[in-house]
Amino acid sequence: MKSMRFWLLVGATLLFLMPLVHSQSLLNASIQMLIAALFACAFNLLCGQGGMLSFGHAAYFGVGTFATLHAMKAMGGVGLLPTPLMPLAGAVAGLAFGIIAGWFATKRSGTYFAMITLALAELLHALAPHLKSLFGGESGVSTMRMPAWGISFGNSTQLYYLTLVWVLTSLGLLYLFTHTPLGRLTFGLRENSHRLRFLGYDVHHLRVLIFAISAMFSGIAGGLQAVCNESANYVVFESHLSALVVLNAYIGGVSVFLGPALGAALMTFFGYAVSDLSRSWLLYQGALFVVVMMFLPTGLTGLISSWNESKAQYGLVRLLPVAILWLVAVLLLAVSSVFLVEFLQRMFSQDYRALALANPAVPWPAITLFGRPWFPGGATTWLTPILIFFAGCWMVRLAKDRWQALLDDADVDASLSEATGNGVKS
Amino acid sequence: MNAPILRLQNLKKSFAETEIIRGVELDIFQGERHAIIGPNGAGKSTLFHLISGNLKPTSGEIFFNALRIEELAPQEINRRGLARSFQITNIFPKLTVFENLRLAVMRRHGLHYTFWRMLSKVPLVGHETDQLLERVRLKARSKTLAGELSYSEQRALEIAMTLACDPLLILLDEPMAGMSHEETDYMVGLIRELTAGRTLIIVEHDMDVVFSLSDRISVLVYGQVLATGTPEQIRNDPKVREAYLGEEVGA
Repeated sequence: MKSMRFWLLVGATLLFLMPLVHSQSLLNASIQMLIAALFACAFNLLCGQGGMLSFGHAAYFGVGTFATLHAMKAMGGVGLLPTPLMPLAGAVAGLAFGIIAGWFATKRSGTYFAMITLALAELLHALAPHLKSLFGGESGVSTMRMPAWGISFGNSTQLYYLTLVWVLTSLGLLYLFTHTPLGRLTFGLRENSHRLRFLGYDVHHLRVLIFAISAMFSGIAGGLQAVCNESANYVVFESHLSALVVLNAYIGGVSVFLGPALGAALMTFFGYAVSDLSRSWLLYQGALFVVVMMFLPTGLTGLISSWNESKAQYGLVRLLPVAILWLVAVLLLAVSSVFLVEFLQRMFSQDYRALALANPAVPWPAITLFGRPWFPGGATTWLTPILIFFAGCWMVRLAKDRWQALLDDADVDASLSEATGNGVKS
Repeated sequence: MNAPILRLQNLKKSFAETEIIRGVELDIFQGERHAIIGPNGAGKSTLFHLISGNLKPTSGEIFFNALRIEELAPQEINRRGLARSFQITNIFPKLTVFENLRLAVMRRHGLHYTFWRMLSKVPLVGHETDQLLERVRLKARSKTLAGELSYSEQRALEIAMTLACDPLLILLDEPMAGMSHEETDYMVGLIRELTAGRTLIIVEHDMDVVFSLSDRISVLVYGQVLATGTPEQIRNDPKVREAYLGEEVGA
């Protein structure tokens, strides 16, 4: 508990210091990370805590975005709702739409619930381009941020702090919510909603409330997006965003409060960092999702907690070699996969074909990758990734063996101490 | 005798073509411990589902405290003071024992839609939860996950959850099923102690339990009440002996 608080404090301090060290583009990416983190946590109130997997959460995010844009347009950032408070419009819209949509969606649970949320979001997505006065058609709605409270909100640093304050406050409220009676009941809903009925609770009402609160915080995230981008079109309603928040939450781990925030921040950063480096970044993102879900079903926070458990059980000294082996194995496998993907992507690109046609004397010219030329016909080009791949596989085996040995040792220790314990008794 | 707290009138329930409950007539009086026995498939659990609102009857009436309840949702029936346990343990396995019971206690304090107050700031709820845990002797296990309790502890927890709303009428569906002799004895004592001053309907297969615990017994056979009476009357009823008890009582 104490170390938890310490790390939270460190994290918050780092977030506040971030603008000191950052470049503009990194700061903009950080804003996106913060918004994605809030969105994922709002989603997780419904999914991880309430046990209701929504496939259409982009709808509430998008409604928040458009409500905030319209509020910015209408009020011009003066009067009752100055620019820093604009996301409140998103909150109200998210809440209102959440109550209506939630009323229908929560009539059912499980797969049917997921299908209704998906259908409602798709409905909005299909309807939005036609409602030009509301969503502005293709060109969308755009507006201007107005200065308020003596702050111009003209640069990324100011926007970053605005977003940071909103996101930290919202996350704090969401956390406190888990300790309120309704918040505790949310876990009960996930665990056994049938039993709650026979304890006198109206399960449908509870579900609508939780749905609406989740939609409200999604609306705040959408509102922050509106304040930062000053424009949006109906693309925010795309199912891609709904899917992304599900995946982000699961990658971070839905069973830990900050898990989804971690997952969303990391994946957004990954998108920012890798999209500049590689054209195949969406492929990597997808592969990462699949790998995490296959091998770490409890997400990254699940990995952290099992690391802590193992550390407590076996000690750092015995655990570290295994961990390093795993790390090296994963790195080797990743390097070989990335090499192959990048090489093939370049080999099949139009540029390369044009290059090859331009000079018939050299039908398969070299491709520069990682600062080295590689020939598509050369043996080293193919042997390198394959060797790295097998090295990775070998490392995986080593790591597994070491881990098994550790478990066996622990068993022996346990039975030994049991035996001696019995010996003393008799 | 005083007025019935629960009255079933010509209650029927069919699933598709199959009639499970075929016109049950039953009065349960305030303060009595009433057992419902009968062979497998007689419709005992279905009867509980009908009374508690888990199933809607095909026809017939259920009066609880002189008001009809057969069309009400489970939570509305519960709020009128009728609580039940389930044949298959029905708890929140991944929440702690304390948390399980607190969810049950909270209802009565009308806090369920509260999101502006921390639950820990409502000491009364925690206090009552602790008291109940003590009464079912689970205080020492309060931080354990409910799913990790032993079977009989889970049953005790479920009875505590049933009691948490301070009900007038309690339905217990086979609370002793699958328990050892010691556990059963312990549970009988617990039930006797905890349901004092309330009305209890219990479905149970263990005849020792049924005859020692209950004031009256109803025998349900093929969806109809064959006989109702004191343990002595039931023991000596030739129809019951023939249809159900047979050798068991003779021996």
